[in-house]
Order: sequence, then structure tokens, then C-alpha cells
Amino acid sequence: MMRDYFADLGAASRDPARKVAWCTSVGPAEILRALGFAVYFPENHGALLGATRMSSETIPVANAHGYSPEICSYLTSDVGACLKGVTPLTKAYGLEEAPRPDVLVYCTNQCKDVMHWFGWYARRWSVPLLGIHPPTHVAEVRPEHVADVVAQYRHLIVQLEAISGRKLDPAELERAVARSREATDLWEEVLNTGTARPSPLSFFDGAIYMGPIVVLRGTEIAVDYYRALLAEMQDRVAAATAAVPGERKRIYWEGMPVWGRLRHLSEVFQRNRAAVVASTYCNSWIFSDFDPRQPLPSMARAYTRIFINRDDACKEAYLLRLAGQFGIDGIVYHAARTCPNNTNSHYGMPERLRAQGLPGVVIDGDLNDLRCFSDEQSTTVIEAFVETL
Amino acid sequence: MIAAALDPPVAAAGPAVTTFWGVDCGSSEIKVAAVDRGGRVLLLRKQRTLFPLAGHVHRALAGGTGELSPLVDDERVPGAPVGGVPRLLPGQQIHATGYGRSHIEGIHGQLTEIKAHFLGVQHQLQLDRDYTIIDIGGQDAKVIRATPGRVDQFAINRKCAAGTGAYIEELAHRLEVPMQSLPGLAAGHDRELTLNSYCTVFSGQEVIKLLMHGERVENLIYALYRSVVKRVLEMTAISTDTLVFSGGVMNYHPILVPLFAERFGDIKTILAPNAQYCGAIGAAIHGLKEDEENGIHHHQQLRPV
Repeated sequence: MMRDYFADLGAASRDPARKVAWCTSVGPAEILRALGFAVYFPENHGALLGATRMSSETIPVANAHGYSPEICSYLTSDVGACLKGVTPLTKAYGLEEAPRPDVLVYCTNQCKDVMHWFGWYARRWSVPLLGIHPPTHVAEVRPEHVADVVAQYRHLIVQLEAISGRKLDPAELERAVARSREATDLWEEVLNTGTARPSPLSFFDGAIYMGPIVVLRGTEIAVDYYRALLAEMQDRVAAATAAVPGERKRIYWEGMPVWGRLRHLSEVFQRNRAAVVASTYCNSWIFSDFDPRQPLPSMARAYTRIFINRDDACKEAYLLRLAGQFGIDGIVYHAARTCPNNTNSHYGMPERLRAQGLPGVVIDGDLNDLRCFSDEQSTTVIEAFVETL
Repeated sequence: MIAAALDPPVAAAGPAVTTFWGVDCGSSEIKVAAVDRGGRVLLLRKQRTLFPLAGHVHRALAGGTGELSPLVDDERVPGAPVGGVPRLLPGQQIHATGYGRSHIEGIHGQLTEIKAHFLGVQHQLQLDRDYTIIDIGGQDAKVIRATPGRVDQFAINRKCAAGTGAYIEELAHRLEVPMQSLPGLAAGHDRELTLNSYCTVFSGQEVIKLLMHGERVENLIYALYRSVVKRVLEMTAISTDTLVFSGGVMNYHPILVPLFAERFGDIKTILAPNAQYCGAIGAAIHGLKEDEENGIHHHQQLRPV
């Protein structure tokens, strides 16, 4: 499925009749699909660079070109890979390089680094750079927020129509939003099988299973995939098949994955019979607001309401709710050095949640920059935390 | 690895065990403790951490000729080649802690330094109230909030070495002062300076700059100690009225105890007995407790219903 997706992207980038759009992972992908773009997600590429640990070779290249080691390591991994002329897509999917974009579309609902990231490519390849700037870190999504974002979508659509050479078909947009909603509902059901004891899946499985909801939402392929995955998870629940045999403690993972150490961390938890049964990261692609009857307002609500774009009170209420739902014993907060926006341990949240009965511990690390991560220290912290639960 | 053929872990559980050994594989030294079934500390010894680690752990366990050891006699030849596979004597159990704990195969159990230091402190002091342990080791510092029964919360220093033994070593090296002379020299300070940097290297630069301006070494060493206190207290808020100190750095630099104490109004400070060995003692006590628990389970199973 992923091979087909990348093969199609490769074909689209070679075909002058087709257009390729780059989109941030929680950007308005449905609009791009409805306009016929082949949609590529650089964050997925960033995660691949991290998981293959190619990022250790590519980040320093970007650093040497003036992109600080302190900024998003997806950005530095990806820009460094482009400068170095390498990509994990070659080995995994046979693509020589990431598909060249005809347009770059970002949304700052997650951070502003995506703007700088896409901006680098806009300058490098003289490609139009289009952005959505929603209100950030909101307590609630109010009608005026939705109106603001919808207005930005309308402006974006006009610009995209000029690039794609076709008018947006409202029915096509409705279909894309409907398919996204269906896939995201199935993904939510998959993740909710983690409420079972023992849990049939862990965060480390979820970090792999989530590929299609990121890169293929708005398509029928993603719907079919999550329908099949849900059936498999339900079978595992019925058979009491545990992701972590002998599950003793149930952990919530808050923050980004450490892509280059997924297996290591998974083994640390496994050894300690602690199952990471839920995470903010995997749940971030549940968009229950999608409504094909009002595609643009519902997209505006869905993409503005995401966890990362909310204030701390919302985030804490969300974490407490999920802790109850999944029977969580404790939270592991990943303080990702280069991703402060997706790190929630810097402003006292662990202490506040502990005071409400939800213990937590912070591990220092990063999504892609393994220079910021210590196997030994993180192992000690996790093991000692599980010991205290 | 330790060949456990004479005393495999499964068979070892139960009343047959007479001595519980704790090994704390730290970044600077390997510490060994042995306790008997009554929890009495039978011996403490240490050696430098060298590699291959497993071989040197065996050496540390073996001790010298005539010394108590969990290993069979023929493995206890002083100067024996490192890396051999010693065998356990009957009635001996080994539990490990410290950064190297997962690299020793064939032992009966392992636990984190956090739990080990807590067990070692609590076993020796038998405290009956909540307290905070400050354990400063060679490459990390830990603040552990405990009740008499368990670890409640903990914090470990983040990525840098400031506030740890490595920091003190580096600055001693910069000052060209032997480590053991530091406490005595610090006592001769005549003014208080502040080293600001989080970073060991930047602190070194601060020290060099002050030296170039003619600052007395005694004042710099005193500032170095105060800096360690500051770095550790930045890790987490202290919420108990008792502070217990453990770890090698406190053992070698007890001057830190009053420096910590002066940062608080009314607080009780205790330098744990055998401060450097608290982890090793705790590991041994962990073995003893596990064995007792297994024993209780065993008896419960046998008890007629």
C-alpha cells in the first residue's frame, strides 16, 4: 500500500500533466486531493529518516548550512537529506528522490517550523509557498476562529486552482472529507482497542500503523486499511493476545516518538512488563469534526482543535480523560529537544497532573536527533518510574 | 557472565540462600556489598570501573585471597585473567544496580540505582518519615523523594554533567589540584564566587578566566562546590524536612553536606553511613527482600486451607 502510494507520487512528479503538492501532516490535505494533486507529506519523510537513523548523517549537513541543531530535527533531517542527495525512499520504495513539488502547503496549527521548512524548498526550487495560519493554542474553537480559517481556505483554494488548472469540485471535496472522516473514525476505533486488558497494541505498533492516516487520508485505501486493521485488533482482543505479555502496568506516551529508538524503547517497556497503551501522538490523527455536509468549516474545526494547538487546561483535561479511559498508571513525557511545541513537560504539566493523581516522568530525547538521547539514562528513568508505580 | 551451574537462580530462591550480594556498577567504581539473612552488612569493597566490565565485576565480587566471596575458590586468584567465567558458591545470590547492571549476565536480579539507593539508605537509617535522598554519582545526580516504604518521585540530571562527579573531576583537572585536596583547599576560601554555567566546559572557561584575573584557587574550589549544590537543587523542589546524602561524591566531598544545609532554613541533613555503598547495599537488600517474599509465597502455598 505504501509502495503504491510512493510509486504514484513518483509517477506524478514525472508526469507534466499531474501536479504534486507537499502538505504538512495536519494540513488541509482534503482540499489538495479534491483538486487532483498527488499529495506528499515531508513529515513522513522526516520520520523515515529518523527510523532508519539516516538522520544522524543528514542533520549535521543542514546544521552546517545554517539550520541550527536547536530547531525541528524533521526539518534538519529532511533538508540535510536533500542537500546530501539521499533519501530512505530509494531503498524502501525505489524512488531516487522525494517527488518534486509544484506547490508547498503548510499549516501552522502544529508549529512555525513547518513554514521555515517549506520555505527552504520554496527558495531552492522556486515553488509557490502557501500557508494557513490558524489561531494557536486556543482554549476552545470559537465560530470566529472557524470563520478565519475558512476564509484562509477559500483564498488558498483560489491560489491552488491557478496552479492545478482546475476548479474545485465541491462534490469532490465532500467525498474527500467523507473518506477522511471514515478513516479517522476507524483509526480511533483501532486505538481504542488499547483499552482492553491486556492491550492488543502498543504505542510502538501504533507509530507504524499510523502511516496511512497521515499520508492517505481522504482516500479509499486508508479506509480499507483501517477496516482490516480494526478487525485484526478485535481478534487480538477476543483472543486476549497481549502486545506486552504479562502486562503489569499501563503507560501513556506524551510527545513525539524517538524514531531511531522505537525498538529499544519498546524493549525497555516490554522487559518491565509495562504496556504503552495510549499516546497523544497516535491520537493526533483522530479528526471527529470532519463533516462532508460542511467540508470547509468542519476541516477548520478539526485542524484547529488538534491537541498540539490547544491551551494547557485543554491538554490536561484531555490527558486525564484518556488516562481514565485507558486505565493508565503513569505518563512518560518525552521532552524532545528540537520539538518544544510538541513537548508538554516544560511548563509544569507533569506536576499539575501528578497533583491530580496521574504520576509522570520526563525523559529527555528527540524525535530524530539521537545526539540528544541517551539509551542508558532513558532506560534508568523508565525502569525507575515503573518501579514506583 | 557468571556461570550459575552450582546455584541456578530458580533453585536459589528460598531459605537456602545465606548471603545476598549487591553490585553497583557505577561510571567510576564498582561497589560490592554482602548482607546476611538478618540484613547485617558483612562486607563492602570496591574497585575502579574498567573494561571488559563483566570480568572486572567478577574481580570485585571475588575480592582478595581469604576474603568472603560468592564465587568458588579457584576463581579468586589475585591477578587472575579478566573475563573468565566464575561459578557461584551454593547459598549465594547476586543482584546488580548501576549503569552497567544490564551487562552482567547470570545474576539473580537487577534494579535501578534509584530504588537501590533508597533501599540502602532506608535499610541503614530505618527512617520513619518522608525524606529526600540526594545521590551524586560520577556521571549523574539524583534527587529521590521517599516514604519509609517506597520511592515516591525522583529526578535525574539532564543531559549535561554539571553537578556530578565528572564536573568536579574536570574542574579539579583544570585547576591542577588532586581530587583529595579539594575539600581542604575549599575550607581556606575567603570569599564567595559564583560559577554560572550549566555546562562543564563553559564552567572550565569561567574558572580559567578567574584564574587569569588572579583569583585564589581556594575560592574557585569553594565556588565549584556551591555550583554543584545549585545544579542539584535546580533539578526539583525539595518538599521534605529531611535530606539524606548518598553516593561517591558525597563520600569524598562531605563539605557538600553543610553547603546543601545552608540553602534551607530548618532541615535535617544526614550523610548516609557508607554513602558510596548505599546502591550496592540496596541491591543486596533487594535480593534479600525478594527472597523473603518468595519464601512467604512458598509457605502460603503450603499452608493447609
